[in-house]
Amino acid sequence: MSAVLPERPPAEAPVAQTPVLEVRDYALRYRTGAGPVDALKAIDLAVPRGRTLGLVGESGSGKTSLAWAIMRYLPANAQELSGRLLLGGEDLRAMPTRRILEIRGARISMVFQDPSTSLNPTLRLGDQLGEVLIRHRKLTPAAAFEDGMALLARTGIREPAAMMRRYPYQASGGEKQRVVIATAIACNPDLIIFDEPTTALDIVTARQILDLFGRLRDETGVAALYISHDLGLVSRVAHEVAVIHQGEIVERGPCRDVFRAPRRDYTRALLAAVPDPAHRIGGPPPDRTAPPLLALRQITVRYGEQSWLARLLQPGQKVVRGAKDVSFDVWPGELVGVVGESGSGKSTIAKVLAGLQDFSGVVTFAGRRLEGRRAFDRAYRRAVQIVFQHPDASLNPRQTIATILSRPLRLYGTVPRHRIRPRIAEMLARVRLPAEFAARYPHQLSGGEKQRVAIARAFAAEPRLVICDEITSSLDVSVQASVAQLLVELQHETATACLFITHDLNLVRQLAHRIAVMRHGVLVDLFDTEDAAAPDRHPYTRTLLDAVPVLARPTH
Amino acid sequence: MRELLRSPPGVVGAVLLLVVATAMLLGPLLAPYDPQAFHPRARLQGPSLAHLLGTDQFGRDLLSRLLHGARATVAFGLGATLLGVLAGSIIGITAGVIGGWIDSVIMRILDGLLAVPDLLLTLLIVTVLGAGTGHAMLAVAVAFTPGMARIARSAVLSIRTQEYVLGAIARGESWAWIIGREVIPNAIGPVVVEATIRVAFAIMIGATLGFLGLGAQPPSTEWGLMVAEARQFMFRNPWCVAVPGVAIAFAALGFNLFGDALRDSFDPRRRHR
Repeated sequence: MSAVLPERPPAEAPVAQTPVLEVRDYALRYRTGAGPVDALKAIDLAVPRGRTLGLVGESGSGKTSLAWAIMRYLPANAQELSGRLLLGGEDLRAMPTRRILEIRGARISMVFQDPSTSLNPTLRLGDQLGEVLIRHRKLTPAAAFEDGMALLARTGIREPAAMMRRYPYQASGGEKQRVVIATAIACNPDLIIFDEPTTALDIVTARQILDLFGRLRDETGVAALYISHDLGLVSRVAHEVAVIHQGEIVERGPCRDVFRAPRRDYTRALLAAVPDPAHRIGGPPPDRTAPPLLALRQITVRYGEQSWLARLLQPGQKVVRGAKDVSFDVWPGELVGVVGESGSGKSTIAKVLAGLQDFSGVVTFAGRRLEGRRAFDRAYRRAVQIVFQHPDASLNPRQTIATILSRPLRLYGTVPRHRIRPRIAEMLARVRLPAEFAARYPHQLSGGEKQRVAIARAFAAEPRLVICDEITSSLDVSVQASVAQLLVELQHETATACLFITHDLNLVRQLAHRIAVMRHGVLVDLFDTEDAAAPDRHPYTRTLLDAVPVLARPTH
Repeated sequence: MRELLRSPPGVVGAVLLLVVATAMLLGPLLAPYDPQAFHPRARLQGPSLAHLLGTDQFGRDLLSRLLHGARATVAFGLGATLLGVLAGSIIGITAGVIGGWIDSVIMRILDGLLAVPDLLLTLLIVTVLGAGTGHAMLAVAVAFTPGMARIARSAVLSIRTQEYVLGAIARGESWAWIIGREVIPNAIGPVVVEATIRVAFAIMIGATLGFLGLGAQPPSTEWGLMVAEARQFMFRNPWCVAVPGVAIAFAALGFNLFGDALRDSFDPRRRHR
């Protein structure tokens, strides 16, 4: 197969150069206890110099396996069935380990998802950056320090010398990822593999990292393989895109063509699942003339409050505020989106309402004034249910789905004892799961299925308010859409109010009636969803909206 | 149970424990000689047809002694561990669930006890209570408590912040349900594994106490005591030390492997791999 030609070749590049990376007919299989699993089948890819190939796929599609195959770091149970991995025309598979060690970090480098785990917490950032320079460019430690500072300056770090002396815990996520990127470009590599480099970062930081990546690519002419599940993101950074599904590349071509006119059903489905703020799936707006169901007044949460002894020994210790004077109302049947970066206090509000966090201030729920967590009785707890982010963690691994779903029924006496069994079947049907799932354990279900169970459990209590704390963010794009759809339907049918906490602005604009924006524990903006694009929005809301990539839609 | 026997270590562990259990239940019936009978003309002999595993310094048949001793030895190990695990788990789970200053106080006291070597602590207790198997068992249990409490507490702490526990709290579940149904079933794994490993230690400490004259008393056939008694003759007949030693090792290995397999079968996520 011929390499996909870039639409506009860079001016200085010769026309028929060998691509930096070329993968030909590559197949990989894992031997597992449950039999062989084909992770990659007949993969053909090419990344020319200065270009970025976006590799898009859902979890388990084999995209990370390919990255590790190129890095020549496969687990012992991996079996390469066929194919060639060519770096500048040389087959990586045929190279001895000694040469691979020279290539890793020097000619191919990698940027991982989470900078807080890809950096060694016990080494200074400068040492980790310098290590590559000393190892591959044979610099002296002093020269490595000088070069490292220059590299950090190139990645937009303001005080490189100070950053070099810091430990990872002393730097923010964005700064750490900049250090990782500086390390990746340190030896002028031919190819950089990015494995979801912005997934662990905040929207605004992620935007800055992407801009940085674009600038460095233009400066250095490095080829990049950009692995991501986020189509919006890929459409922003990549020239070409390859869509991978169950180990096979189903569609490949220039970014614009694939996103505008997808040829394959899978690609079309994937694109359709990406949240589009212009396409509302939320229900009709609630009646806001009635009294609100929930009213928060001056909710303040302090974390890390010291005991009197600690205060005495270490005066002046800072108290972290998880939330500061947060006040807003939620009407019956309304879906309010709460957005913000991590640490903005949005999950703190969820914990307060779920009765998991002490607070000061007043919560008025259905006309009842509740001051403090102790006032939350069983009646309140029944009426307010919470669905957590990670379905793996929110279902007890040692209980069957039936036990999990029967719990709210028994606890609140929602239905008489003999009706519990049929009720579980009804609930499973309502979240579109087969009835035989009742006998299964959570680990036998996929992430999306588990999240449906968690939603079913919340609605089993027949609540009046459901708090959804990032319930879609650990799911794949296509699953995300169906879970969100399901939630909206259930919420609309039962006229339950919902507090939908998320960092995905596109998604929340599809679902919510109103959106609350939080930052540093403060509610900075609260507006009707239709007014999201209005010019008089809070500047921070504007920044958030601008940072989110909106996918160019296929033209119908 | 079927799941348990599917893994090779589980099978080996189960077989070893089966052998030990047989010796415990039927040992006295299977033994060819009276364990206390002296055979003055056959002292410190290696294995022969008359004495399959040889004889000790008084000419007592080692196989018979071994079979008789299984009951006392394993019962001591199991009993001491069970008591220690129970006390430790209760303390650890209480500390882990309550948290705050109560947790700090309990754990600092246990840290203090942990700093004292097991054997020393046991000796101290036995010296106060007086010698004998029952006291020795109690002493070993007390010595095990701090370590088990620490393990139980750390298991509880890691479970306590899981979302299913938070969910249960948010639902308004009772503490009994949260601890009994949400926390303990998920926290029990490391405790069980540690307990099975400790059975072996308990057997060894019991033996040591016997050797020092504070635990099982001669002419008991307790395995540890057998090792201790035969120690000075080990260069004339290594069998009299090796036989009970190997028996202890096999029993310990059996408990260990079985415990590992047990943990895996406890965990539904591992069960189907």
